[in-house]
Amino acid sequence: MTRGLWTRETVVIMLLAAYLQLALFWLWFGGIEEVQRFALAALILAIWQLVFLLARAQPVSLSAVITALAIAMLAPEGLGPVRLILGISFGAVMGELVFGGWGRNVVNPATVALSFLGFGFPGFAWPEILLPVAWAAIPAAAIGIATGVLPAGIIVSATLGASGAVALGVLPASALPAAGVVLVLLVADPVTSATTMLGRWLNGLLYLALVILFATGWHDAAPVQFAVAAALLTSLAAPVLDELALALWYAQRRRRHGRS
Amino acid sequence: MFQFGSRSGLTPSFRSPPRAAPGGEEVTTEEAGVRPPHGMAPRVTVQIKDGAAVAQGAPVACLRNAPDVCFVSPMPGRVARSVLLRGHRLSEIVVFRDPGGDVVTHATDDAETEPGLRRLMQRAGFWPWIRRRPFGGMPDADERPAAIFVMATDTRPFAPDPREALAGREEAFLRGLRALSMLTAGTVFVCQLPGSRFVDGSDAKGLRVVHSGSRHPQGASGLRIHALCPAGLDSPVWDIHAEDVASLGALIETGRLPMTRLVAVEGSALRESRLVRAQVGADLRELTHRIVRPGPHALLSGSPLDGHFAHWLAPRDRQVTVLPRETPRAAPHWLVAALTRSATPKPVIPSAALDQAFGDMMPAAAFVRALGAGDDETAMKMGVLSLLEDDVALADYVLGGDAHLAELLRGLLDRIRTEFAV
Repeated sequence: MTRGLWTRETVVIMLLAAYLQLALFWLWFGGIEEVQRFALAALILAIWQLVFLLARAQPVSLSAVITALAIAMLAPEGLGPVRLILGISFGAVMGELVFGGWGRNVVNPATVALSFLGFGFPGFAWPEILLPVAWAAIPAAAIGIATGVLPAGIIVSATLGASGAVALGVLPASALPAAGVVLVLLVADPVTSATTMLGRWLNGLLYLALVILFATGWHDAAPVQFAVAAALLTSLAAPVLDELALALWYAQRRRRHGRS
Repeated sequence: MFQFGSRSGLTPSFRSPPRAAPGGEEVTTEEAGVRPPHGMAPRVTVQIKDGAAVAQGAPVACLRNAPDVCFVSPMPGRVARSVLLRGHRLSEIVVFRDPGGDVVTHATDDAETEPGLRRLMQRAGFWPWIRRRPFGGMPDADERPAAIFVMATDTRPFAPDPREALAGREEAFLRGLRALSMLTAGTVFVCQLPGSRFVDGSDAKGLRVVHSGSRHPQGASGLRIHALCPAGLDSPVWDIHAEDVASLGALIETGRLPMTRLVAVEGSALRESRLVRAQVGADLRELTHRIVRPGPHALLSGSPLDGHFAHWLAPRDRQVTVLPRETPRAAPHWLVAALTRSATPKPVIPSAALDQAFGDMMPAAAFVRALGAGDDETAMKMGVLSLLEDDVALADYVLGGDAHLAELLRGLLDRIRTEFAV
């Protein structure tokens, strides 16, 4: 029997194709340290996937590569391997694997790992997102939206909102590169973001609102730091936004048909 | 918030050889099987003994609890065998063709009144061609629907064009529509492609014309019902194919129910495709005889998306799909099997493909999650009572067959039916 292709792994491959631009630019402008960090993150994630494959028969997923990329790009610098291993393990296990693997998780494992590293080891400097790497987020988002694996509503609403906010002077332009990369890598994750059209628009706007709040109100915070914090809170709020959109839809249907 | 746009939906592509001839010739197969609608096995009384002669349109079995509702022979012939399951449940009745046989003419005197029309439709074997929602299957003998949907569009891959099926039968179609509007206090919706000129709103009282695009699932009756007049536990909705409505019109006029319909025979295991007018319950082997490629193949009654392996053309189907038979895969290594088997079904990742598989008119990801979790209440709020397996077939296909949405939906509907004791 013939079958369609949009299984879990196809979505991961499409996401990888989109994020490839981001990864290439980041490695090009980075150095051997970046490569090492990515390799370490990928290795730890692979080991945890193997552990859950053997212990709970959870099929492995290529999504670990995306998680490794996000963690390697955005984790604080100079942490040393032990802290990094601890943070990545916490993120992968508590953020994703205990829920049943990628596709059943509630929050993005990379967001959990990064928040853990940020809150657990506050003394370390957050990386700076270089401008060319931030530009590479645009083709990544475009490929993701064109293939339908990244939710267009989130990216479009956050981008439109951000351009308005910068024009009004509410959002400092220095926050944009980090916020953009975090938006594409963490917030627009198809699994943990909102899934209804209205929910997605609210999701993008909520992320933007949190970024503006932290950029103006959180003193001495690096752009990546507050963008990751905004991403964590947004993904926790995503189910509520979906429920809100669904409640509106139910009400609309009840008004139109007299029943749902 | 969610609604069909003119471009929403998908056009999944399947391989099939081109048609050799324009087609449309009438074919009556030598054998035919009288079957209940898919998924039903009603308790019946068999009317005719094995080996006895039967005229076209004569009842071969009728329901135990509603003797007026009959299954009729699609052609004059001889009853070869009646296969009943335990409890006198109908499985199939096979009829051999007898070219010289009669055609039954029903009395149409009281077809102007609702009870008379109902009795005529039930006695003439029209009833199994109607499908009700919620839960599917044919309606009860005395059920009054909240609305009736007449599908003059079919967007499933390889589906024969209803406009071709209705060509030259416009008058019968209008007569059928007027008759249908007697059966419901609600609206009769006619779903057709933009530019079709079968009917306009002024032809009969309570008629509403709805235009739909050409991508699947815009012509899926379930999603149309979901959008326009959702079915509920106490407000059933019927759907009928437009060609069958034209046959109803002919039945009312002449007393004889036309048994042939336009059937497309397609699929990648064929040498050439055909378009024929075949009778209901036609033998699929004979319809595909001499045009199948050598080698093992599987015959489906229905489209490649929602077809079922079958021997006879099902009462409502207008498509035969012939696919190469899959050779059974070698069993995976025991360790691989042990490691992967317990984690099925795999999670469904929300993507634009999934949204479009529901025509962008339902919260697709939330609905699939409710189905997967067996959350009856949320699914009912989302309108699951309007849907049947056909409507989620495209999503099932798009997701690579991993999600088993059709089975999940059937399980959920069965559970709701037991719980509410309908």
